[in-house]
Amino acid sequence: MNEKPVYLDYAATTPVDPRVAELVAALFAEDYGNASSNHAIGRRAAALVDEAAERLAALVKCDPERLIWTSGATESDNLAIAGAARYRERRGKHLITMPTEHKAVTDMFRELEREGFEVTWLKPQPDGRLDLAEFEEALRDDTQLVSIMHVNNETGVVQDIGAIGAMCRDRDVLFHVDAAQGMGKLQIDLSALPVDLMSFTAHKLYGPKGIGALYVADRPGCHIEPLLFGGGQQRRIRPGTLPVPMIAAFGLTAAIAKESIHADLEHIAGLAERLWAGISNLPGVSLNGAYYGRFPGIVNVSADDVEGESLLLALEPVCVATGSACNSQSQEPSAVLRALGLSDAQAQSAIRFSIGRPTTVEEVDLAIERYTSAVERLRALAPERAA
Amino acid sequence: MSYSDPYSERVRALFGDPAHAGTLDGPSVRIDDQGVRIEISAALAAGTLEKLAFRAYGCPHTIAAAEAFCADFEGREAEALEGFSGADLMQNLPVPHEKTGRILVLEDAVRSLGAKCRDSKMNS
Repeated sequence: MNEKPVYLDYAATTPVDPRVAELVAALFAEDYGNASSNHAIGRRAAALVDEAAERLAALVKCDPERLIWTSGATESDNLAIAGAARYRERRGKHLITMPTEHKAVTDMFRELEREGFEVTWLKPQPDGRLDLAEFEEALRDDTQLVSIMHVNNETGVVQDIGAIGAMCRDRDVLFHVDAAQGMGKLQIDLSALPVDLMSFTAHKLYGPKGIGALYVADRPGCHIEPLLFGGGQQRRIRPGTLPVPMIAAFGLTAAIAKESIHADLEHIAGLAERLWAGISNLPGVSLNGAYYGRFPGIVNVSADDVEGESLLLALEPVCVATGSACNSQSQEPSAVLRALGLSDAQAQSAIRFSIGRPTTVEEVDLAIERYTSAVERLRALAPERAA
Repeated sequence: MSYSDPYSERVRALFGDPAHAGTLDGPSVRIDDQGVRIEISAALAAGTLEKLAFRAYGCPHTIAAAEAFCADFEGREAEALEGFSGADLMQNLPVPHEKTGRILVLEDAVRSLGAKCRDSKMNS
């Protein structure tokens, strides 16, 4: 690939904001203290951690004391789900989630099934959203935990976490939300939302990889068992020496997002509309997931009679994803798209464009041009389908 | 698990410029299996494969393998088709092991084309 890459895979990860990168480099060189140490250098590290917690808390409107630092959203999801289920298992062993959740959630639930928990897997409606009436019916007296994501990582579909959380709160069921894709892109107000546990990560928001957080609400019955043991840090919920430069970087990432969230959303929505307008006229091209009620930065499209892996290569230098990036080593059709009712062939042809803060009009126009020519070329190459 | 480029330079070149894409009027075979559709057609002249063409729906390795086959077999005796093995293509392109099934679809198509060419020769 000799042409300059055009990156349209911001749902997989994002470049680190130069201001954040500069801070990380400086802190790794200068602020090496252990935040648990009771001396000047340690206290300086602890102050950086406190500042980061305040910045992240300001973005999602929660008490900074309720944030647990983790290695990323996968760990946050695992810790929230396993930790809450195990803490509450004497009350009941019924859990609810959806097959369209991220692997960090679905694989954890499958692990809990092996441990003897019973999981109800609620299929989405064809537009990707949870049917709230069906959800209400699935809640039982022994239900202890529900995990439903905010923004779907493959389709961008946004779930009504306010309504879902309210139903959980009415029945004293813990509610976990994977907000890896939505944090800092759509407004999240934990002071108003009935959410008990929420997972975050920095690298989807122009921060570094390897740092995340978990919000744990301060209310009776909301507690989680640890997954790791070995120290008293973070109230023993997640022990281990805190990676202070990474935490500080996450804090700055959150502060920047708080300032730019409205401008980012407007910019991204405009480009996404341009992209969809440019490719939707192609015959047999369809948008996967709801058009409205979606984070606009993720545009997942299928093209009839086009094989996804070939499409991905034909699109170069445009960098996009087939299925979810976390799963792109697999040749299996996306489980998320299959759950929306797509056939194997439709799911195989799906391409996820994801737009970010640095994306330009020129990049979107190049993506439109490449997608159009790649679809036409591959269709011309394919034999007719059998009747 | 490898995170390196799954496509060799040769696969990229064959996929990017499949000179034998198309359909010919002579004997042809089409197979739809393993999520792959392959159609191969030939133009024969006195038992020789004067031209070969293919159409394919599949991954880049499948398309590159079909193109490589056509380029390699043009000008050869049609009899050679029935002894075609995808193993050499798997090794030379190369094609990852997990895609063996797709190359076997190509192999089936080529051998079937060989049988058709034989029948066509006997009937002419």
